[in-house]
Amino acid sequence: MELLVCIKQVPDDSVSVSLGADGAPKLDEIAPVVNAFDTYALEMAARFKEAHGGSVTVLTIGGDATVPALRSCLSVGADHAYKLAEESVCDTQGIAYLLSKASAKAGEQPFDVIFCGSESTDASSGQVGAQLAEILGIPVVTNVLAVEPREGGVTLKQETEEGYRVVEAPCPCVVTIVKPNYEPRYPSIKSKMAARKMPIGDLTAAGVEADAAQFGPEAAKVRRVAISAPPQRQSGVKIQEKEAAEAVRRAMEMLAGQKLI
Amino acid sequence: MAYLINPEDQDLLDSVREFCEKEIKEQCKEYDVSGEWPAEIYAKAAELGYNGLEVPEEYGGLGLERITVAAIMEEFAKADAGFVTTITASNLALKAVLIGGNEEQKQRCCDLLMEGNHGAFCLTEPMAGSDAGNSKTTAVRDGDEYVLNGRKCFITNGGVASFYVVTAMTDKSQGVKGMSAFLVEAGTPGLSTGNHENKMGIRTSNTCDVVLEDCRVPASALMGAEGEGYKIAMKTLDMSRTWVGCGAVGIAQRAIDEAVAYGKQRVTFGKPILKNQGLQFMIADMEIRVETARQMVAHALKLMDAGLPYARESAIAKCYAGDIAVQNALDAIQILGGYGYSREYPVEKLLRDAKIFQIYEGTNQIQRMVIGKSVIGKF
Repeated sequence: MELLVCIKQVPDDSVSVSLGADGAPKLDEIAPVVNAFDTYALEMAARFKEAHGGSVTVLTIGGDATVPALRSCLSVGADHAYKLAEESVCDTQGIAYLLSKASAKAGEQPFDVIFCGSESTDASSGQVGAQLAEILGIPVVTNVLAVEPREGGVTLKQETEEGYRVVEAPCPCVVTIVKPNYEPRYPSIKSKMAARKMPIGDLTAAGVEADAAQFGPEAAKVRRVAISAPPQRQSGVKIQEKEAAEAVRRAMEMLAGQKLI
Repeated sequence: MAYLINPEDQDLLDSVREFCEKEIKEQCKEYDVSGEWPAEIYAKAAELGYNGLEVPEEYGGLGLERITVAAIMEEFAKADAGFVTTITASNLALKAVLIGGNEEQKQRCCDLLMEGNHGAFCLTEPMAGSDAGNSKTTAVRDGDEYVLNGRKCFITNGGVASFYVVTAMTDKSQGVKGMSAFLVEAGTPGLSTGNHENKMGIRTSNTCDVVLEDCRVPASALMGAEGEGYKIAMKTLDMSRTWVGCGAVGIAQRAIDEAVAYGKQRVTFGKPILKNQGLQFMIADMEIRVETARQMVAHALKLMDAGLPYARESAIAKCYAGDIAVQNALDAIQILGGYGYSREYPVEKLLRDAKIFQIYEGTNQIQRMVIGKSVIGKF
C-alpha cells in the first residue's frame, strides 16, 4: 500500500515555553522537532510498509526550516519527503486544504492510507486529520492505535476510554494516530547519513493547483486573538503551628472555611 | 566548547545524544550496582551502527571523520564510561588488525563490527602489563597451524567478543622481537574466558581472563610476520590512547554538568552555592582542564588525519585527560558535598569510572615515560 504521513515541525515539547515582551511565545532557543504524534504515525506507517510492502511519503506545509524535520523522517523509515512552502496559510482548514492538494502531487500517489498525528504538541487543535478527510471526501478514523490491511481497506484499533474498538475502513482513508505501545525507532548512523543524500521535493500552492481563496487569511475560519501563559500556581498555605493538635485545628478551620468539609 | 565537527554531522551527534539520554544514562545506574553486562543496551546500540564507527569506508564503514567519532565517543562517555570502554575496546582490536593484518583479516573484522559484534585486544597477562615484553603466552608452529597456550587477563570484551587479537611468543629467546600477533575468532576450541572481574568502576564493560589451552589456529591467523606482534601492539596503543583520552574527557565534562546543575539549585546561607566565587573558581578550573584535554585529543586526531607522527601527543592526551577526569570527578563530589559521596547521586560513580583511565592502555606513569623519552631523546 502507498502511505502518506503528514507531519508538523513543532518546538521541542520537553522545554517549557514562555511569552516574550511582545506577547508572542519565545521559541528562538527551542530546538524544532517533529511533532510527537506524527512520529508515532510515521513509525506505524514504516512498520506497516515493512510488513506489507509499499512506500511511505512524508509531507509538511512549511519552508526550508522544515528540512531537518523531513530529513529526520527520512532516516527513520520514510522513502520520500515533500514540503509545500506557503506563508499565508493561517488556520487548520487552510493547512488541511493545502495537504489535500499536495497529496495529489507528492510521492507515490494515489495514497491508500493517509496518516496524521491525532494532534500537535504546540497548538493541539486536533483538527487537521478530520478536515483533510472531509476535503478529500474520504473516511477518517481518529485516535488509532494500530493499522492492519484487509481486502480493499484496513482494519484499525481505535482507542476508547475503556480500551479499544476494532473498526474497518475502505481505502483511501485518513487515520489519526495516538501513542501505541511502542516507541518510534532511533535513526542509525547509516540511515542518518543516507537521509542527507535523499531528495526533498518542493511543492508550491500554485504547483498543486491550490486556490488562494481557500487557504489565505480571508478563508480562515478560525482566527487567533491572543496567546496567554497559564496562570502561575498560587503558593500554598503553610501551617506552622508548634503543636500537632493546634496544626490540625488550623487545617480543619481552613477546610471548613473553603466549604470543603 | 565542544569538538569543531563538520556541521553536517551535527545531526548524528544529536541523535546519539538522544539515545544516550534515553537508553544509557539512567539504565546504567542499575547495571553499575549489579555489575551485569547490559546486553540489551549493547544490542540496541549495535543496531544503530555504534560498533562500527571507526570502520574505514573501504572496508564497508561509513567514512566518518575522526573528530566526529570523537564527539560521539564523548557523548557515550558522558552517559556511561563503561559503555564507551566497550566500544573503544572493540576499536582497539580493530586498530591492531588494520595496522598489522592482511586484507582478508581486515575485511573480516570490519564486517564483524559492522554487523554489531565486539572485538577484544589480548596483550596483558598476569605478569605482563606495562611490561608487555614479559609475556608468557606461547605460539608454537605445528604444520599449517599454531598452537597457543597461556592466560591473558583484564581483557575488555573478553567474554563478549567475536574476535580476539592475541599476542604470543613465537620465539622467547628474541624477547619482544619474538612476539607475534594472531587473529582468533570466538568459538575456536581451546579459547575460553574466565570470570567477569568485579571492578571498582566502568562496571557496564566486560573484563575477564582469556585462557588459551592448546588453542589451534590456522597459520593464516598470524598477523603480519612472526616477530611483529610487539611492534603491532605498540603502534596500536599509540593510536588508541587518544581515544582513551576522549573517553576521559567525557567523564570530566559530565562532572562539570552535574556540578553546575546541582550548584545552581542548592541553596545555603540564602543563595545558590554557585553564587560563591570560591565555587565559581572551582568550576572554572574544571572547565580549563576539560577543554585543554579535549583540544589535546583533537590535536592528536588532527596529526593522525595529516599522516604526521602522533605518539607523543596521543600519550599526552591520554595521560592528561585521565588525570583531569579524576580531578574533575573529585571536584564534582566536593561541590555536591555529602550528596556527592552518596550513591544516590551520579558523581561518585564518575570517580570510580575515571580512575581506570589513569591505568588502562598504559598507566599514566608509562605515558610519562613515553612523553619524557620523546622530549629528551637519546643522549
